[in-house]
Amino acid sequence: MPPELKQKLRTPIATMLVLLGLLSVNVILGIYFIHGWAWIPEVLITVTMILTVLLVAMEALHEPPLTRLFAFIGFCWVSILLTLTMMDYLTR
Amino acid sequence: MSTTTVGIKLEEQFESEQQQRETAKLGMWTFLATELLLFSGMFISALVIRTLHPDSVTAVALHLKFWIGATNTAVLILSSFCMSVAIESSRLGLQRIMVRAMLLTAALGVLFMCLKGYEYYRDYVEHMTPFLHWRRYELVGDPASRLFTDLYFIITGLHAIHLTIGIGLMLVMSWLASRAGFLQKHQNRIEIVGLYWHFIDLIWMIVFPTLYLLNR
Repeated sequence: MPPELKQKLRTPIATMLVLLGLLSVNVILGIYFIHGWAWIPEVLITVTMILTVLLVAMEALHEPPLTRLFAFIGFCWVSILLTLTMMDYLTR
Repeated sequence: MSTTTVGIKLEEQFESEQQQRETAKLGMWTFLATELLLFSGMFISALVIRTLHPDSVTAVALHLKFWIGATNTAVLILSSFCMSVAIESSRLGLQRIMVRAMLLTAALGVLFMCLKGYEYYRDYVEHMTPFLHWRRYELVGDPASRLFTDLYFIITGLHAIHLTIGIGLMLVMSWLASRAGFLQKHQNRIEIVGLYWHFIDLIWMIVFPTLYLLNR
């Protein structure tokens, strides 16, 4: 493998290891902490995984402002949908 | 290791190569945003069913194959890494490594589909297919569980359709990219297909906890 490719692959390798590590934590939580408040760390880990893929693997951070705006609007809309819907059902 | 010149063929409506690249990426991100909205409605439905009928959802979740879901998540993470290798190789003009990385990405996608197919088969054998009217449903006394089981098949089925399209795109792109001169004219196509593949991975990262993990 050429040295310049090795250099470029540092970030993808780190991303993969971080994602596999986070998945392992979620799997352990899923096996050993079935009920109760385990959903809070599970959700936080999932959000971290999503942001890692979005910002690092999909390189959203390096996109031009207009592209970043479109990506932001998409996820912002989903956040509003999720928050308002769950607020309704969880406060009944 | 042989390298080739990298670039894109400038179309007449664009002023520069950079503008053409940015426009293509913006188009893909816009498409992905609409895809996200499509999946989000289903994710919200699953969370609402979980909130309203927690016991029914737990009963279904115990029938889901947690380990297959977890393994498939790892498979997609590995496939995303292979896609990143393909993208970085394409930027450096390393055509052979790029094509191999894309074929490996497609192979991991096929592995995902095989595992998913086995999971569906186990669901069929265990009578967890309420939409098949000629088969007995295992949790027939629990109508709310039917909703969640149906949603499980709709979400995973829709994801599987997207992944199948992704595998097809990857194979076609590998074939095109293996031709001489591809990277001189169409390097950005690898990046566009890569965005789609990473997005499929991202969607599964939401599917796994929503269906298999939370309060199982």
